[in-house]
Amino acid sequence: MQSIISIFVKSVFVDNMIFAYFLGMCTFIAISKEVKAAFSLGVAVIVALTVTVPLNWIFYHYFLAEGALAWTGIEALATIDLSFLGLLTYISIIAAFIQLLEMIVEKYYPSLYNTLGIFLPLLAVNCAILAGSLFMVGRPYNLAEATAYGAGSGVGWFLAITSLAALREKIKYSNVPAPLRGVGITFILIGLMAFGYLSFIGFTI
Amino acid sequence: MKEFFRKKLEITRPYFEKGGKFEKFRSTYDAFSTFMFVPGHTTNSGTHIKDGIDLKRSMMTVIIALFPALLFGMWNVGLQHFRAVGIEATFMQQFSYGIMQVLPIIIVSYAVGLGIEFIFAQLRGHSVNEGYLVTGMLIPLILPPTIPLWMVAVGSAFSVIIGKEVFGGTGMNVLNPALTARAFLFFAYPVSMSGDIWIAGKPDAYSGATILADIASATPSHYSTWDIFLGTIPGSIGETSTLACLIGAIILGVTGIGSWKIMVSVFAGGFLMGTLMNLMPGGNAFMQYPAWEHLIIGGFAFGAIFMATDPVSASQTEKGKVIYGLLIGILTIMIRAWNPAYPEGMMLSILLMNVFAPFIDHYVVEANKKRRLSRAKTY
Repeated sequence: MQSIISIFVKSVFVDNMIFAYFLGMCTFIAISKEVKAAFSLGVAVIVALTVTVPLNWIFYHYFLAEGALAWTGIEALATIDLSFLGLLTYISIIAAFIQLLEMIVEKYYPSLYNTLGIFLPLLAVNCAILAGSLFMVGRPYNLAEATAYGAGSGVGWFLAITSLAALREKIKYSNVPAPLRGVGITFILIGLMAFGYLSFIGFTI
Repeated sequence: MKEFFRKKLEITRPYFEKGGKFEKFRSTYDAFSTFMFVPGHTTNSGTHIKDGIDLKRSMMTVIIALFPALLFGMWNVGLQHFRAVGIEATFMQQFSYGIMQVLPIIIVSYAVGLGIEFIFAQLRGHSVNEGYLVTGMLIPLILPPTIPLWMVAVGSAFSVIIGKEVFGGTGMNVLNPALTARAFLFFAYPVSMSGDIWIAGKPDAYSGATILADIASATPSHYSTWDIFLGTIPGSIGETSTLACLIGAIILGVTGIGSWKIMVSVFAGGFLMGTLMNLMPGGNAFMQYPAWEHLIIGGFAFGAIFMATDPVSASQTEKGKVIYGLLIGILTIMIRAWNPAYPEGMMLSILLMNVFAPFIDHYVVEANKKRRLSRAKTY
């Protein structure tokens, strides 16, 4: 239990997908113009990470890893190492799940569906979501820890995008030099935000 | 003398008006004339609240509130120096040594910061704001007395350009500019910003560790609680004395320039987290350190009173201010106890909450809207 909490807190703050790894930047910058949209996209990322990371964990540990197929009982399969198929498998699972998510959102929240536009299907290729699965495989997590890790990474991403959106709503009234308006000032803003997030680097819980 | 300046300003005014010879230097002219005299321009539309307070006045109040900390800091720099070298010195000797150390830092900070601000004002055609008068005073107060002057210059330049001017100048920045300068220096030049640097002109053998460093290395501190409260301890120039900071807090609180809600809630948050940690079994030295003493060591009081209350980067809503303050206090103690990478958490926790302040505000406003909508009846 202790390790699950610690993994969750660590993945929210210390190993933040945005400020520690700079992953998922394209959607992070594109959808952070207003808090409402950023909030919903953040929730979508939380859901996607919380579901796909444990799904991929199951796939990795029962099909792909070396000796993972031993449960079939067939001798020839017991030594097979399919981990080279990892990237391909993860991305397909993520894509399938995002497709499902998209259908649900379209059916039940049509206004949200229109706000997010192309970025909802594009979540399938969001680096932060793929990275969640790739990092998970490299670490000795069990299923519960992998779920905590996925959820934590999602919450970290959610906090980052909503706070950036709130900041961008605030600086709407700022007199930013013309050449910097838009993406330029957003990059500077993200750099300054990273200052704040530095407070967690080196945290030991 | 006063008449002389006024006359000179009046005579030269036409040159700076639109179409005049020095039209480009309008904002420089404005800055000087309004710095010395009450601005002559009035609003020309709508009804406004009548009040003598303006940006200049409020900034001057902050400077006055900073004076106890500044004067104490100057004296303390001298005191620590003579204590370290082991020479008996009179009060005046200590004070004058301190002035010799601190004044150059202040001059460099103002010269560089205001210089850049004037250049930006000329180029972009906005007026020179007084925001830097406070920032330029805060930057020296949160630096160690041994800081090389060129670093002060680099730090001030970074905070004015990246921290403020790219957003359009005073009132439009997102992070506290003084803390931006300190954080920049802290991460760019860690050697000059941490370790054995807290006493000016110190012989190598004398240990100049701060209280925070003493706790971290489990050295029994030879300073009494009273010393810590008064501030006769090594540390950044202006932050050591909780007493001087509290005098500043009274000035800011009474005049309403600094939000007392933020100050109180930062202290409350720190105390709360400190008490919680005291109750936890085991834990490191910081967790066992008495909660109320957490509030007087390091930069806690200075940060709570002068940094967290910065009206631009703090939360704007009343409820938001309390949440913002509590989180700063809690986070500071957490960083002290659980993050061995940094000796002090105040700077980074304020910066982090600056990042989250608009986020808090947004949800406070949303909650208000919802509550008021629920009260409205629809027929």
